[in-house]
Amino acid sequence: MISVLRLSLPLGLWLASFSAVYGLHGLLCSSRWAAPPIALSERALLIGATLAAIALQALCLLILRSPRWREPDPRLRNIGLALAAVALLAAAWTMLPVVAFSSCL
Amino acid sequence: MNALRRHRALSRIWASEPGLRGWFTTVNHTDLGRMFLAVAIFFFIVGGILAMLIRAQLASPRSAFLGPDHYNQIFTMHGTIMMFLFAIPFFEGLAVYLLPKMLGTRDLAFPRLTAYGFWCYVFGGSMMIFSLLAGVAPDSGWFMYPPLSSTIGAPGINSDFWLIGITFVEISAISAAVEITVTVLRYRAPGMSLSRMPIFAWYALVTAVMILTGFPPLILGSILLELERAFDMPFFQVAAGGDALLWQHLFWLFGHPEVYIIFLPAAGAISTILPVMARTRLMGYGWVVAAAVSLGVLSFGLWVHHMFTTGIPHMGLAFFSAASTLVAVPTAVQIFAWIGTLSKGRPSLHLPMLWLLAFFATFVIGGLTGVMVAIVPFDWQAHDTYFIVAHLHYVLVGGFVFPMLAALYYWMPHFTGRKTYFKLGNTAFWLIVPGFHGTFLLLHWAGLLGMRRRIDTYESGQGWEAINLIASISGFVMSIGFALVLIDVVINAAVAIRGSRDPWKAGTLEWAMPTPSAPYNFASLPQVTSREPLYDAPDLPVRLARGEGYLGDPSRGRRETLSVEIATGAPRYITVFPGNTVLPMLMSAVTGLFFLGMLLKTYWLVPISAIGVICCALYWAWSLGGTTREGALPVGHGPELLTAGEVADPPGWWGSIFLLLANGTFFGSLLFGYVFLWTIAPNWPPPRYAEPGLDVALAALAGAGLAALGPRLRPSTGLLLLLPGLGGLAWAGIRILARVPDPTAHAYDATLWVLMGYALLHLAVALVMALFVAARRRAGHIGAIAGGEPRIARLWSDYAVLISGIAVLAAALPGWLT
Amino acid sequence: MHPAGPAAAIIATLWWVLLIGATAIFLLVAGLIAWAWRRPPGEVQERRFVVWLGLAFPLAVLAALLAYGLVIGERLLPRATPDLVEVRAEARQWDWRFGYADAPGRVTENQLHIPAGRPVDVAISSADVVHSFWVPRLAGKLDAVPGHVNVLRIEADRPGRYEGLNAEYNGPGYRDHRFTVIAHDAEGWQAFLRGERP
Repeated sequence: MISVLRLSLPLGLWLASFSAVYGLHGLLCSSRWAAPPIALSERALLIGATLAAIALQALCLLILRSPRWREPDPRLRNIGLALAAVALLAAAWTMLPVVAFSSCL
Repeated sequence: MNALRRHRALSRIWASEPGLRGWFTTVNHTDLGRMFLAVAIFFFIVGGILAMLIRAQLASPRSAFLGPDHYNQIFTMHGTIMMFLFAIPFFEGLAVYLLPKMLGTRDLAFPRLTAYGFWCYVFGGSMMIFSLLAGVAPDSGWFMYPPLSSTIGAPGINSDFWLIGITFVEISAISAAVEITVTVLRYRAPGMSLSRMPIFAWYALVTAVMILTGFPPLILGSILLELERAFDMPFFQVAAGGDALLWQHLFWLFGHPEVYIIFLPAAGAISTILPVMARTRLMGYGWVVAAAVSLGVLSFGLWVHHMFTTGIPHMGLAFFSAASTLVAVPTAVQIFAWIGTLSKGRPSLHLPMLWLLAFFATFVIGGLTGVMVAIVPFDWQAHDTYFIVAHLHYVLVGGFVFPMLAALYYWMPHFTGRKTYFKLGNTAFWLIVPGFHGTFLLLHWAGLLGMRRRIDTYESGQGWEAINLIASISGFVMSIGFALVLIDVVINAAVAIRGSRDPWKAGTLEWAMPTPSAPYNFASLPQVTSREPLYDAPDLPVRLARGEGYLGDPSRGRRETLSVEIATGAPRYITVFPGNTVLPMLMSAVTGLFFLGMLLKTYWLVPISAIGVICCALYWAWSLGGTTREGALPVGHGPELLTAGEVADPPGWWGSIFLLLANGTFFGSLLFGYVFLWTIAPNWPPPRYAEPGLDVALAALAGAGLAALGPRLRPSTGLLLLLPGLGGLAWAGIRILARVPDPTAHAYDATLWVLMGYALLHLAVALVMALFVAARRRAGHIGAIAGGEPRIARLWSDYAVLISGIAVLAAALPGWLT
Repeated sequence: MHPAGPAAAIIATLWWVLLIGATAIFLLVAGLIAWAWRRPPGEVQERRFVVWLGLAFPLAVLAALLAYGLVIGERLLPRATPDLVEVRAEARQWDWRFGYADAPGRVTENQLHIPAGRPVDVAISSADVVHSFWVPRLAGKLDAVPGHVNVLRIEADRPGRYEGLNAEYNGPGYRDHRFTVIAHDAEGWQAFLRGERP
């Protein structure tokens, strides 16, 4: 079972962070949010959240490579590392719009 | 014992009952797989007839063939039937039939559950067909957006058929998904580690987990919409704090993974069939597995691309546009792995291969138009036009129907044991494929010219008359082709000559048995050492028939198979399966009464049938295991293993874990809906928030503590702690409800009712299970004394405690924060 | 397909880029399959197929496409601009009512009047179910969701009449749920605001 968890962890983490960043964005843009007056803070929050997500994914990748948590079956291990790399790429790719685009329009 | 006597003994043990009775009492996966496929094909024909009606209506401008009222029902049902009653069940049928054979085991993890799922599908589907015949079919589009589908736009019974009927059918999907997950993880031939599994099993596993996490948002949405329609609980009505967008989020949270749930099994079939057609092995097995898993998870991050025009801020759209483009990458990896496999083999142009080529031509176009609509500004023009209709048919027909036709022809010799008569199939191919492209290719252009989807007719002179006429004619050509396929299948099953065992020279285990397969699959279970066991040992089928594998001794006289370690495939314990029984069908019928009561608003029927279902379920669970300890039994080749009733993690424990995964997703969707309404819906805050006092908080905390501790102590004391613990939590929930007495007043009140109702339901489930296990212990059942049953009950009570706590907190949070 | 405004023109260009790119990729894949079919059997470099074709190539193409699309999307947003005109569109089953910020109290049914050559923000709302506001020759579409107001930027290059459609299925009257956008030149717009019938 732990093998299955190892395989599921990276992308599962991506799904959680992606939803969290999108949710954060929705919250920040909703009329009920007592927003700080400077738009920069909203974007700073979003960028912070994105960087945290990317960092977590990188951590995931490192953990899966470390001897203690490594998957014994070599073929499964390669699949798991590929998935962790995909999750890292996905985090960067899907959340990077926070740096460039207008936040609530 | 020689092979023939072994075959006879095992057949006696595993066979379904003969004649008509057999259909209602079978729990055998081979029979049920075929039954699923047959019913799915029936629904495909119904959906296809509806499509022909649509094309007949749209062939010419200002057509008077169908009025808008009928047309709206027809296009809604066409989409609904194809998506829910054909595509998913067809995959279920194929998986149910093939997986145990490919994995080298004798049946799925929960045979009675397979039957229950089948009958739920049949009864739920019948409800939908009835609505069509009675002229009260749902008519708000297959995605049923409120307020159009709610009391304002659709006051009749039509939408209720969809909401209730489809939820009923979804029970079938969830149960199949739980089964497939547990089967792939724990029921394989000894030695078949995860990395030695046939690639189809990986795809099936990913698809099953996607079903478990993708269907609950829709089930939630359907329940909320039905509550709104039947009881005025305003989840989607803006005036009382609801929001129409909530439905769209919930629906597409399901809807996008749904299309990948449809594509992935087809991709699994391609990954299995293409290498065999090319007489080589799949290139990049590891990459393909990684691509399938990536596709499965990434697809959950795309849903808002169906909502690009709803006014969500551009940055939000950007996330989803990015994710939607990214998802093309794992798809491309698979496509190029398949092309690579072709290049290293010697492909031959048999009929399954023809269908795979049609897949390439069609799905690639569909994928490319998909990337186009992932780009937001383009979607702002193309959304809700025939461009989208064309795109979705390209990916669904190209990406599912064509590969499944390849699968049909590839495994036909296995289903029927006969050689196929290919000429008719080839003619059908040359009618269907050009017919399909003739129908849908030009419709892309019609969409770009401004032809909106779902219009019942159009004025002349808009520029798309010729396109529609060509589309309709091609559509009829295509349907003639499908009719030929049907005739081909029927003739082949009835008349053609007996064929050889492995006509394609494939390497996977489903070909290591005589065809059509015996009810027990394998006379003895193989020890697997590679991904293509038949290539390693071509005489494997004979050796297995002679009893040289595991569990080759039928002298215990019952249905047995092996359960293995998840990662390595080492044998762990013996699972004993139930025999033929009518209980699943009966329980499904009672479940049907439950849904019927809600549909017809005869509410007295609802609690009665609910109790009926519970009684069936208790009887079902009671009949497992026995009262005597058997200890470790020989399985052949040395090891002696316990039976499932005596181990700590029996199949039911694993089934519960995955069912709780689906359940947890449901609860998570509910929390999401709550937060969404709180932050985005207009007309919040409600007149008052429920502000539960200290008494509620204390009751909840104390209750949670007792209920968490109880199951971890000795059984007798444990029960004394658990019951008041559950009671405390329930009391807290009821106190909260007392503060929001009217669920129709505001979406907040309505949401709290659903939250508390969900919590109370689960507390009741935990109670029933705890009492059940206590009764089993009193009656001396091994499972309750030495085995895993208390652990299963503990899973459910822990879950109930967790969600009740969160629900109480969630109810109180807005009041505390503001 | 015949853009008459800047937004529609940008999207039309995007479409041709997408079509040409997609066709090229389709031909590439078809060619690859033909090559794979004819190639004599033997091991191939897995890396070449999976990593380069399957990963690197799509990622590069998609990154460029995504950037292009997002930049365009930004440009189409209704940002503040000097000569902006604001109008309101309320959708209901099965007609449209339009109001004008510059002519308070004036309401037109199924006809939207705008000045040509100036950016117009349409504040879209719904009185009952979900509808959609779409003038294909001028811009993309935006939904009318009950309880929300969505703002769409449209602009017509030249005076004229442009067809408007509701693109969200909303029941039996859906087919004919349409409107006309009448773009006036500067004089015509002033005349309209003063209350004269066009």
